[in-house]
Amino acid sequence: MSEHTTTGMVTVTIDDVTASVPKGTLVIEAARQLGVMIPHFCYHPKLAPDANCRMCLVEIEKMPRLQTSCSTQVTEGMVVRSSVPTVKQARKSVLDFILANHPLDCPVCDQGGRCDLQDFSHEYTASGTKFVELKRVFQKEYFSPVIETQMNRCVQCLRCVRYCDEVMDVRALAPAGRGTLTKIKSFGVHELDCEFCGGCVQICPVGAITSRLSMYEFRPWMLKRTESTCGYCGDGCQMTFQAKDNDLIEVNSTLGVGRNNGDLCSRGYFGYHANVHEDRLQSPMIRCDGELVEVPWEEALAVVAEKLTAIKSANGADAIGGLIASRCTNEDLYLFQKFMRVVIGTNQLDSSARYGHMNGIHALQRVQGTHRWSMSFDDLLSANAILTVGTNLTETNPITALKVKEAVKRRGAELITVEALEPAIGTISNIALLSTHHLPLAPDQFASGTIGLLKAVIQENLVDAELVAHAKDYIDAIKKQVDAISWTDIEARTGLTAEIFQDSAKVFTRAERAVILVGQGVLRSQGGYGMTLNLMDLLVLTGKLNRIGCGLAPLAEENNDQGSVEMGAVSELLPGGKDCRSREAQQSLEAAWGCSLPSGEEGTLMDMLGKAKRGILKAMIIVGENPIGSLPPDSGIEDAIGKLEFLVCQELFLTDTAKRADVIFPACSYAEKDGTFTSTEGHTQAVRKAIEPLGESRPDWEILSALSVMMDHPLEYESVKAIGKEMRDLMPGTRTLGPSPLPPRPCLDTLTQYLQEGYQDTLATRYCLPGMKATHTFVLNVGQSIFHSGKFSTRAKGLIQIQSQGVLSMHPEDAERLGLACGDGVCLENQLGQVKTTVKLSDRIPCGVLFFPEHFDQDIQRLFAVSVDNDTHVPYFKCAHVEVSKAS
Amino acid sequence: MIFDKLKDEVNELLSRYPVKRSALLPLLYIAQREEGYVSEPAMKEIAKLLSLTPSQVYETVTFYSMYNLKPIGKFHVQVCRSLMCALVGSDNIVEWIQKNLNISSGQTTADRTFTLSVVECLGSCGTGPMMQVNDDYYERLTEEKVGQIFDDLKQKGSSSLKSGPFMFPQPTKS
Repeated sequence: MSEHTTTGMVTVTIDDVTASVPKGTLVIEAARQLGVMIPHFCYHPKLAPDANCRMCLVEIEKMPRLQTSCSTQVTEGMVVRSSVPTVKQARKSVLDFILANHPLDCPVCDQGGRCDLQDFSHEYTASGTKFVELKRVFQKEYFSPVIETQMNRCVQCLRCVRYCDEVMDVRALAPAGRGTLTKIKSFGVHELDCEFCGGCVQICPVGAITSRLSMYEFRPWMLKRTESTCGYCGDGCQMTFQAKDNDLIEVNSTLGVGRNNGDLCSRGYFGYHANVHEDRLQSPMIRCDGELVEVPWEEALAVVAEKLTAIKSANGADAIGGLIASRCTNEDLYLFQKFMRVVIGTNQLDSSARYGHMNGIHALQRVQGTHRWSMSFDDLLSANAILTVGTNLTETNPITALKVKEAVKRRGAELITVEALEPAIGTISNIALLSTHHLPLAPDQFASGTIGLLKAVIQENLVDAELVAHAKDYIDAIKKQVDAISWTDIEARTGLTAEIFQDSAKVFTRAERAVILVGQGVLRSQGGYGMTLNLMDLLVLTGKLNRIGCGLAPLAEENNDQGSVEMGAVSELLPGGKDCRSREAQQSLEAAWGCSLPSGEEGTLMDMLGKAKRGILKAMIIVGENPIGSLPPDSGIEDAIGKLEFLVCQELFLTDTAKRADVIFPACSYAEKDGTFTSTEGHTQAVRKAIEPLGESRPDWEILSALSVMMDHPLEYESVKAIGKEMRDLMPGTRTLGPSPLPPRPCLDTLTQYLQEGYQDTLATRYCLPGMKATHTFVLNVGQSIFHSGKFSTRAKGLIQIQSQGVLSMHPEDAERLGLACGDGVCLENQLGQVKTTVKLSDRIPCGVLFFPEHFDQDIQRLFAVSVDNDTHVPYFKCAHVEVSKAS
Repeated sequence: MIFDKLKDEVNELLSRYPVKRSALLPLLYIAQREEGYVSEPAMKEIAKLLSLTPSQVYETVTFYSMYNLKPIGKFHVQVCRSLMCALVGSDNIVEWIQKNLNISSGQTTADRTFTLSVVECLGSCGTGPMMQVNDDYYERLTEEKVGQIFDDLKQKGSSSLKSGPFMFPQPTKS
């Protein structure tokens, strides 16, 4: 026995190289680690071994016959030979069988040049196959608008089918038939309807499944690769842009790279065309006699500099406000807030993180004193229990959803889902099906669900013993609140009994490592800040807040929501997430910048709109954000923007807001500039320029820098790297190189302060059940579709082919009750108005709930009232109560 | 909804297996028994019953030659063409049927009475040539015998020439 057996390592010899590898390693993986490449088709590190292709046969001493190295685990002293004549002969025979049917249409195959079959054929066979039979020929079948299948090329390794099942949990692909006549299909004659993650395209070792978006447009060696970060959601997937002649051809991801580890979602894989859409603004425009006309950069910049200077001297710096989209890079965000604070001299600035992400940040800061998660993305995989609240995870953060799926399916984590979701099997995956405890709620009742869990923790004596010893007042105060709420009231709102809350609370408390994922359903809904604080209370009470691998994770909807917070692009925070009223923070920033900070009051998005309506705010600089498109009419946004004396927009497209601008600067997309994005967990990752900026468009930071020069307060940087350096000097946590930074630990002083008295403020308002809807009404919920992100993605032709319009989803039972069928027109009505739309049946959403994707129709927003959070100033407009009738 | 009226049978079936998915083949068999073939609505219904996606049910149906994805005739004639039957003349039987019913393998007669399939071994090698019509075996076939069977089926709906699969060793008559 070797000494290794006790340490979990075994010694293995592969092709005369001896090394130690962990016990349980597959021979094929051990070989890879030793630099021996064993050819394979069906094996993939993400998938369970299937050993169906027989390509990876090796000779193993003391074993009869050749063995498949993809399904054999190494054992102590194993001697493997992968390049002896018998093995080579076996591989040649396997290839002979595959080539007996493979069409060898490499010259017209998009995989040509990066095809495993091509490579192995070159290595093992002289030419062709020795079989003389006719090759199998499948009739060409239409598969889907974005994915092409060419079944004649298929080697039947079934990686696509297994990926769709094991990793994505979608199970949309079926190997129909048997033997050589097996082909990859969806259901019967129907075209594919699934999540369209593109995983099957990426995992196919040959050209059997390819993307239709780039079909016949390239050969792999023509493409210029650029490693970058996805710009859709906060998951921060690493991906590779493939460009040719300054056009984006396709996007790939690589196994082992980034948190996504080779996985992407439909937005990431099929959504890249939004960057290069033909409607992109390509030259600056100014308004002349009511019309927008194209002008040279110098002229547009001069007009803006002059006008802003004039407004500032006439009305003061606080008459100018700034708003930026969280889709911009950190460098853009950093320079934007510096421009507003230094060049303009105002604290009237905000970013789209205000729409919800700020609730999570404020809750984290108040309880644990951090503005980042106190856990990492990888902690999701090692969690024993995961609680998701209002996340709509698959749609909003698809890669986080993959981690949750992996944690549950592969590692046996217990999953508690508090979601507006029914466990129905559909065309996209459903985490409720994986959950051990599922608490389906209407989207306006997540607060009730949260309180139910807290009540169960208190009632079942699940409170951490250590906490009982030193924070009795805190526990008593919460106990008093939850005692005042009866299970009957909770059940009336949630339809759930005390037992399921008690069981869920026990599972959560029992877990060594427990994670709470908080999504848009909480962060953007009425009372979102209070709900997030209550969930923090849940962590505190169960003694998990300060435990390694535990924590609360607010999920960002936009790619750089977290970055805009950390860069200080929100009015109440300075770079590094520091409180802008803290004298200490101000002083250190003043020293770094060499100038004084503005002393005026902060102005968040809704404050600025209010001031604009009252005529106090005269001008706005809006960078990449479209508040007219995002906010419902009830917010008075049109009035506010209309009253502005001067509006400058930096935009990719002529959005509803940009149409009102006096000057528009054409900005370039993230595929055309360098910079960084910060993912939802706080990891800063590089964004790299894949193509040259279209037309005369420029990066946002360059435009702001040019303006600052013309306004006699130059913020000059020779390149984006110089901004990055200044950022990193100020905030060491934003470096992109080296290992990812460890998550911050909760600040114990802040926690102690919270437990002593910090909790008292707003305690009564947040431990309060939301009102109930009238029985005949529905809860209308707007949210994200899996195929789109904001309105940007609706410019991506691939995504539009998958989903081109928004329709109202309704549970079949509700539809039956109202006499509605799929495709019928319906009329939604409440005190704010009446809207007509089309209905689609979906058993994924609970009865009494309606869902509408937020990407398309503005009209439905008329039904939403806006309320603003007292503490965080987040505007809430996610749910409305409506009556539904059949449209005549 | 074909399973609505078969609730008891379905529940009994589901109760047999620790894993729901195991009931897939018997449910498909019931669907085929009820409609003559496995229809798309039936596959969707089964998917729902067993918490599978329709694709998963579909792939299973396509794997087994015993399930029909298209409507077939009243009598499904499956003639064995594997080695043992071929040695004793199954090709003549197939030819005779094709000529007399005027259909080729995989087709259904115009009056939707007969569907002909040529299949692999049905495990009755000692008594070839043989065929299976719906659930019944017909063995030691000759052209005259097949003609007689088809006449019986057309007129009476069943034929006395049918035999069970022979046990091995054949049960001794008492």
